[in-house]
Amino acid sequence: MDQDSELARRAAAGDAAAFAALVRAHEAAVRRFLRRLAADSGDDLAQETFLTAWRRAGHYRGAGRYRAWLMRIAWTTFLGAHRAGRRREAREGGVGPWQAPTDPDLAIDLDRVLATLSERERAAALLCFGEGCSHAEAAEIMGLPLGTLKSIVARARAALVERLEAGNDRG
Amino acid sequence: MTEDERIAALFASPDRAPDEAFVARIERAVRAEQRAAAARRTAWRRFAIEFAASAAIVVAFGLLRRLGATELPLGQLPVAPAAAAAMLVLGLWFAVELRPAAAGR
Repeated sequence: MDQDSELARRAAAGDAAAFAALVRAHEAAVRRFLRRLAADSGDDLAQETFLTAWRRAGHYRGAGRYRAWLMRIAWTTFLGAHRAGRRREAREGGVGPWQAPTDPDLAIDLDRVLATLSERERAAALLCFGEGCSHAEAAEIMGLPLGTLKSIVARARAALVERLEAGNDRG
Repeated sequence: MTEDERIAALFASPDRAPDEAFVARIERAVRAEQRAAAARRTAWRRFAIEFAASAAIVVAFGLLRRLGATELPLGQLPVAPAAAAAMLVLGLWFAVELRPAAAGR
């Protein structure tokens, strides 16, 4: 049993210190993913993600990486917040464009390019290129069939290459 | 450098130490969740005990009413049902007053 699985088992038994160790190990990846998906509300969504992980700690069965399980919760948390935001904005008139994060740690060029992708393309690119997930893992995280995920990644990759090259040509 | 390597390099972030302020924020939220869950459990336990006690009162009064309906002379009244009803009420009092106290009310 790896360290994460052991900590997850203890967290499921109500050990808050074990859960804090899991938060310490994975907060950077979860926040990076959510900040790039949801811009400035990324940290609030990350907090919601970890609280959901705490409440559902007993559901982690040790199959697959703990980080992938956490990323799946992060993705569904983002989707829920995103849909609620769209409904609210539709009621209030018009859906605003995605805003690039204001976090200076994140690369500006990449953010500009990511902003041109759809949410699913952005998430698939972040998982496969940014977090080193396999296609199968990313498909599991996003709740998509493997073939669909591969198509999305291919589209995202093509868009990234095209826009980065366009940027290089201008530069 | 291949296209995939270029893209992966673009996404690469420098490793950093864990953000202890964020970890502390989650720990506080988890503690609050634990307190709320404990309060919910206590509330449900009290509700279950008091519901059972209320039901016992209704049953006890029902039994007493059936005893009162008989028109036997005092010396011939059956004692066992009356004693059972009294024990029921005593048990009810015990459940409501003593159990929650033992559970840390």
